[in-house]
Amino acid sequence: MAGPVTEQPQPLLDTHVVVERGEFLLDVELQVAPGETVAIMGPNGAGKTSFLYALFGWLPLRSGWILLDGVTIEAPGQDQFVSPHHRDFGMVFDDCLLFPHMTVEQNLAFGTNVEIETSPLVELLELSHLLKNRATALSAGQQQRVALARTLLTSPKMVFLDEPLASLDPSGRIQARHLIRSALNDQVSGALIVTHDPADAFALADSVMVLEGGSISQFGSIGEIGEHPATPWIASLIGWNFFAGVGSGSSVQLADGTQIATSESGLTGEVTIAINPSSVALFLEAPVGSPRNKWFCEIETIESVGELARVTLSGPVTIYADITLSAASDLELRKGLGLWVSVKATEVLVQSSNP
Amino acid sequence: MRAPLPRQFRYFAFVVVALVATPLVALLWRVPWSRIHELLREQVVVDALILSLVTSLIAAGTALLLGIPVALILSRMEGIKASITRALMTLPMVLPPVVGGAALLFAFGRNGVLGSSLEDVTGLVLPYSLAGVVLANTFVALPFVVLTTETALRSLDPRFELAAASLGANQTRVTMQVVLPSIKGSLVAAGVLAWARALGEFGATITFAGNVPGSTQTMPLAVFVAMETDQDAALAMSVVLILVSLTVLVALRDRWWPAR
Repeated sequence: MAGPVTEQPQPLLDTHVVVERGEFLLDVELQVAPGETVAIMGPNGAGKTSFLYALFGWLPLRSGWILLDGVTIEAPGQDQFVSPHHRDFGMVFDDCLLFPHMTVEQNLAFGTNVEIETSPLVELLELSHLLKNRATALSAGQQQRVALARTLLTSPKMVFLDEPLASLDPSGRIQARHLIRSALNDQVSGALIVTHDPADAFALADSVMVLEGGSISQFGSIGEIGEHPATPWIASLIGWNFFAGVGSGSSVQLADGTQIATSESGLTGEVTIAINPSSVALFLEAPVGSPRNKWFCEIETIESVGELARVTLSGPVTIYADITLSAASDLELRKGLGLWVSVKATEVLVQSSNP
Repeated sequence: MRAPLPRQFRYFAFVVVALVATPLVALLWRVPWSRIHELLREQVVVDALILSLVTSLIAAGTALLLGIPVALILSRMEGIKASITRALMTLPMVLPPVVGGAALLFAFGRNGVLGSSLEDVTGLVLPYSLAGVVLANTFVALPFVVLTTETALRSLDPRFELAAASLGANQTRVTMQVVLPSIKGSLVAAGVLAWARALGEFGATITFAGNVPGSTQTMPLAVFVAMETDQDAALAMSVVLILVSLTVLVALRDRWWPAR
């Protein structure tokens, strides 16, 4: 049983994973190009973590193949099985799994012979001052950075991050995203990131694979997926607002001249921005106070999505807002109504097109 | 912070603790404290004390060496095979020790299934020897190591092993550097429980290794013999056993119990 037709350039990871667990069937085909980061999203029980475990060899394939850098590491048809600890993958678990009986330094040194104290990665992830601490005495954010460094220090060809930011508070997340992004750019040739948060996918990944019920329900860039969601689950979770524009300092200018303020600084060149529809606030009267992004728009459509009403508005910007059904009825929303739309600068996520 | 229990629970617990303490206090009451130095210097007593300490420590160490690998395998087994294996390994704890000693004789005695060939090949005779004492002690202590260790292994998050493997460690290294150090507390507990069981061992020892002063007579045997002939000596030795056990348990500060 040969692998699929080789494309140019050769993918870093080329796999077709078929795993059976009782009633559940996982059947996923995926190619990851060198340097590419793919986010894996999907509802609970969709098989996201099982997929990573299968790549590692912890869940045996019923059929299919796993090729890393052109080398077959598992193929039931060819009786090929490289044991998990010999696979050039690294994995960062959602709860870090730092070894509790070791110091940070011992944890970091577990998989490598690199001199820990002088490692640039340890410096990049701001761990130098923590090396002598017990691993369990750290904050969630620190543990996350240690777990990431511990994995990256083993120089895997590809790294898997399972919910890397789930245990962090919102302010920790923003910082952690930056650190993960720069660490991945420096160190690894490819990554898979399991996440529930579209903001993670947006900030960290080049493309998104959505798993539902063990198979891929959509694959594409987060922009494509957000604009054309293939299933109700995707629509409710990643139906985000995306805008392309040109960065200038802390704001972004869209093609029609509209300015959108962000909390970033030093923006230049082409950027994409993403706004969670839940962060879009609607007011009948002009909002007073701080919001720098406010526009007067007109309601195009109102649809209910589960507990929420998705309101599509047009004006200086075309934007979706998700509000609760009760808020929608309080505001007496109807098609054609004029409203003030506001978005806090801190809720505007920015991705540079040329990082 | 736990919610306080009704007062009656406290009274009840106090009575039970007092019931356990009473025989110990009664024993201490009868100890001839003025002659204790002289009693403990008797050759029989010194021999029994040294013999007990040496054999119980060796037995505890041996039980750990033999029991940990079994617990590692057992913790990965499921179903009827696991139940049967676990029952077998627990049996020496449940059996009357005398029966265990008799069983050891049939296996390792000079005419036993393994004993005769052991003697032919190595010239080693286990029954009524110091090695026999260690064997009997190890036999009864082993279940404590296997059960305590298996419980700890089963409650350890199996993903620690996955994390270690993802960092490139093979299973031997995962076991030695991650799994066993992670359950260090339980291993100490297993060792202490095994040692305590070996120190108090009577039935299997007297059946399999006999009761020869200076070579196989451990403290419990010496106390038993002295109760018939020299009660003061028996009391003095009992005090030593109580003190040693209590000191170890207190010094370990509850770390000897796996649930802590």
